[in-house]
Amino acid sequence: MSPRLRHFLASLFAAACLAAATVAHSATTTLQVAVLENAPPMSFRGADGRLTGFSVELARALCAEMKVHCEFQVTVLDRVVDALAGGEIDIAAVSLLDTPERRRRILFARPHLRSVTLWFARPGVEPGERGLRVAVVRGSAQEAYARKQGWDTVGVPSSGALGAPLLAGIAQAAIVPMNASLHLQGNQDFRKLGLAATVMAVPELVGNSSFGINPGRPELKAAVDDALDRILRNGVYDRINTQFLPFRVR
Amino acid sequence: MPTRPERYPANRLFVLLATAFALLFAFLVVVLAIDQERVRDLSESLQQQTVPKIIRFQRLARNVDQLRQEGERIFSSDTPEDRQQSLYLVMLIASHPSILEHSQAATAARDTESFLAETGRLAAQDPATLRIQYGEWQQLSRRLSLLVDDVLIEGANLATADLEGAAAAMRLTRYKLMGATALLGGFLLALMILLRRHLLRPLEKVDRALSSLSVDRPAPEFPDGSLAEIHAIEEATKHLHEAMVSHDAARRELQLLANRDDLTGLMNRRHFMESATTELRRAQRYGRSTVVALGDLDFFKSLNDTYGHGAGDTVLRTFAGLLTESLRQSDLVCRYGGEEFAFLFPESTVEQAHILVERFRARCAGHEIQLPDGLVVRVTLSIGLADASDCTIDLALQRADLALYEAKRMGRNRVVVATEAA
Repeated sequence: MSPRLRHFLASLFAAACLAAATVAHSATTTLQVAVLENAPPMSFRGADGRLTGFSVELARALCAEMKVHCEFQVTVLDRVVDALAGGEIDIAAVSLLDTPERRRRILFARPHLRSVTLWFARPGVEPGERGLRVAVVRGSAQEAYARKQGWDTVGVPSSGALGAPLLAGIAQAAIVPMNASLHLQGNQDFRKLGLAATVMAVPELVGNSSFGINPGRPELKAAVDDALDRILRNGVYDRINTQFLPFRVR
Repeated sequence: MPTRPERYPANRLFVLLATAFALLFAFLVVVLAIDQERVRDLSESLQQQTVPKIIRFQRLARNVDQLRQEGERIFSSDTPEDRQQSLYLVMLIASHPSILEHSQAATAARDTESFLAETGRLAAQDPATLRIQYGEWQQLSRRLSLLVDDVLIEGANLATADLEGAAAAMRLTRYKLMGATALLGGFLLALMILLRRHLLRPLEKVDRALSSLSVDRPAPEFPDGSLAEIHAIEEATKHLHEAMVSHDAARRELQLLANRDDLTGLMNRRHFMESATTELRRAQRYGRSTVVALGDLDFFKSLNDTYGHGAGDTVLRTFAGLLTESLRQSDLVCRYGGEEFAFLFPESTVEQAHILVERFRARCAGHEIQLPDGLVVRVTLSIGLADASDCTIDLALQRADLALYEAKRMGRNRVVVATEAA
């Protein structure tokens, strides 16, 4: 065997090994994905106990599009930014409003929905009234806004629990993200409270929501963005939208 | 001094043409590649930007239609709770950024929200008001439906503009491709014409000239060519012709030398025999009479002995000169050996030849020959004549020799005709 042929065959073998390793790596890559548990219709457990909801199914679709294996970890919103910043999780499949405080600590994927925030209170009760206790989800942009305004807040772990302090009389108002409000409005007991909903014209509580990404893995952002672009074009996103939400949210 | 036409070396010229062709081809490839890149960019823009925008319009249309459906539900629902739910959704949709960013949709949604909120408020007081409000809702519902159509068309038109841009780019590319093909075709045609004119046709002319190159023809003439190599071939062809002519002249000269007698300049015996044989055969084939003769200078040996060989040579040369002057052009004569001469008279009867040689003999006998030392001598000639019309040259010469012998015997300086028996 001539030296040149031997060199060529060795190069071919090395290239094959590298390609095989790349394929193997791609096949065995596992991403840790954080999801909320009690935040319908975005993230909740179905009747069979399986996690589902708009955010969860969107995360599954993205993982399938990226051809990676995803392990879901249930968490609460209050822990999401810390878990991302600490590298405990790779992706937070949670609709996070893009705020400067969060942007300093984590990466944001391309926005996957546009949202508004609603003020729920008895008719005539305006935000910021003295003696008013406001229910908010701990760790949410809404909580950060209320605190910034100096309002008295009652924190709950998830949006699914926002109705409880109101029903219990602990809180007299709530600041609720648009999608979570759909769930609250579906609750008969909540409706009986006779609260009026008003869209809050506050710039930091309106606009794009995105999944969070581990800042230590910037390459993931491009992969997630590309995958999102694809499912936005191929109809997968809209099917999930229709499945969980009554109108188009993007 | 004539101006020397400018000539170009073919190899440099073809390198220049090939370079020009390569540059032209590369330029066209670059132009087409740029166009292809433009089409690719347009296609990518269509996929990456326009399609998402179209889908966004579709989503907006879907929300506008959802707004209309929720309105319908308010009018068709039986319970205030259902109406409240629908009103809530109407509020959310009307407040959603996807609606607000489209001015027409935002206005329609705001009108719809306020109308339906008022309808809900009235219905809460008196459900019968729904029927009153329904007429106005139908108009609003129709407006929303039309808006759905408009939004969908608006989205579709984005693709139309992009596709028209892509089609225009492809059309332009096609024209450029056609132009490039024509340009290349023109270049190749011009190249073929140049090759034919400056290379192939001159080569054909050289080929024709070489095929017909002969010493019998004039030197080939070539028009002034532009290619140095072709000109070199043409010049070589001319030189070849000159060499052929020169060689032919040399050959003729050599042939002449080979066929002539050195001393007298007459034919030598070998050449005479060849020529006489050929002539005799021709004459016999056509039935023409031919006569041969052998002549011998009388007392030549004693002349040699008396005056020396130089004198003998002078006599022979002078005698040969007389012969050449006296004989017809068609007659053959050679120095047969020593002082002996052979003759062949074509188209002559024995009688005619006899008269001719007799006249010559008389002229010779009366001719004074001046020797180198100034002395003047006269020589006489004995001749044997024989008919050669029906025999071989050898036999005819044999007969003539016998007749010559007879002439010598009879006293020299006379002509004797051979008899048939001899």
